[in-house]
Amino acid sequence: MKPDSHEVFTRMIDESLAVGMPIPEEKSLRQHLQSCVPCQEYLNANTRVIAGLGGLSFEVDPSLQAKVVESISQRAQQIQAAPFNSRRLMLICVLALALTVVGSFLDLQFGNLIASLLDIRSIHVRQGLFALWIIPSICLFLLFPMLPVLSPANRNERTL
Amino acid sequence: MFDYDISRAADLKSDAQQIGVGLRRRDVALLKTLVEQYQYRLVRYFIYLLGRRDGVDDLVQETWLRVLERGSSYDGRSRFEPWLFTIARNLAIDQMRKRQTSSLDSNDEGDWETGAKSPKSDDPSPFALAARTEDAERLAHSLETLDSVYREALVLRFQEDLSLQEISTVVGAPVSTVSSRIYRGLATLRSQLEGANHEA
Repeated sequence: MKPDSHEVFTRMIDESLAVGMPIPEEKSLRQHLQSCVPCQEYLNANTRVIAGLGGLSFEVDPSLQAKVVESISQRAQQIQAAPFNSRRLMLICVLALALTVVGSFLDLQFGNLIASLLDIRSIHVRQGLFALWIIPSICLFLLFPMLPVLSPANRNERTL
Repeated sequence: MFDYDISRAADLKSDAQQIGVGLRRRDVALLKTLVEQYQYRLVRYFIYLLGRRDGVDDLVQETWLRVLERGSSYDGRSRFEPWLFTIARNLAIDQMRKRQTSSLDSNDEGDWETGAKSPKSDDPSPFALAARTEDAERLAHSLETLDSVYREALVLRFQEDLSLQEISTVVGAPVSTVSSRIYRGLATLRSQLEGANHEA
């Protein structure tokens, strides 16, 4: 036997244990193990370590599971009850932005026409559109993303 | 060592898909089942990762809440365990960073990266408390001093039965690094176990 053959086979054993499934050299390793005591000992020592790890049994607080389940249930209820889920918020923001754009477009393109139809000055139409349409829609667009932060549901602290 | 179980692959895939659907729906009944099934394993993983017991229960709770909140990101195509342990790991790292930031002056938390315990601590380690066999008792001391990256690789491979690829996903390191950590971890524990035998 070559002096480095143990090293080759111990590396195979390491690989086999780490990979956890048959390695390509499995057959030759099995054959070698039948006749090589040092490699058998090496394998046994490793399997003993692995078995030793299985001999560690950590204690778990018996009430932990109930606490975790309770906190999950509470959190699930909070999520379901949350009035501002991200999809709805996004929709509102897009709508508010569209309203702002449409309002500005109306103001620029049809301000004079509306003024002449209503027989008022165009500056009044412009002011009206700004005050009643464009500014409220901009406010909606800017303020709605902040609502989840201000929501009381997000201020609840978790306890354990 | 050489008995490999590959017959359960189809069942596992189906389980993963069911978990994926349930998590997307935020199914609390499913989560209760998962908590029951994985509670001990999460506790064990955190202990191996952190080398201590205190704060682990909070991390377990945080992990499940995050599973509930981010369940939609689990697609059910791969096994549930790597996804769960990735969440757990990220939370543990966040917590350790916060602890290290808040205790810079006292510097009594030890070093998470090396898993080194504070020299001041006289309390028995969680490994010593958990040892139920003679070999486990011998290993407990070695585990205390072993770097946490090696402990983590060992628990994921030999206790959780994760593949190298799955461990690589959890720890965010290449498969070759994971293999190397397993070899070194095993080698350290083996030599200490053999040393203890010779002394005895």
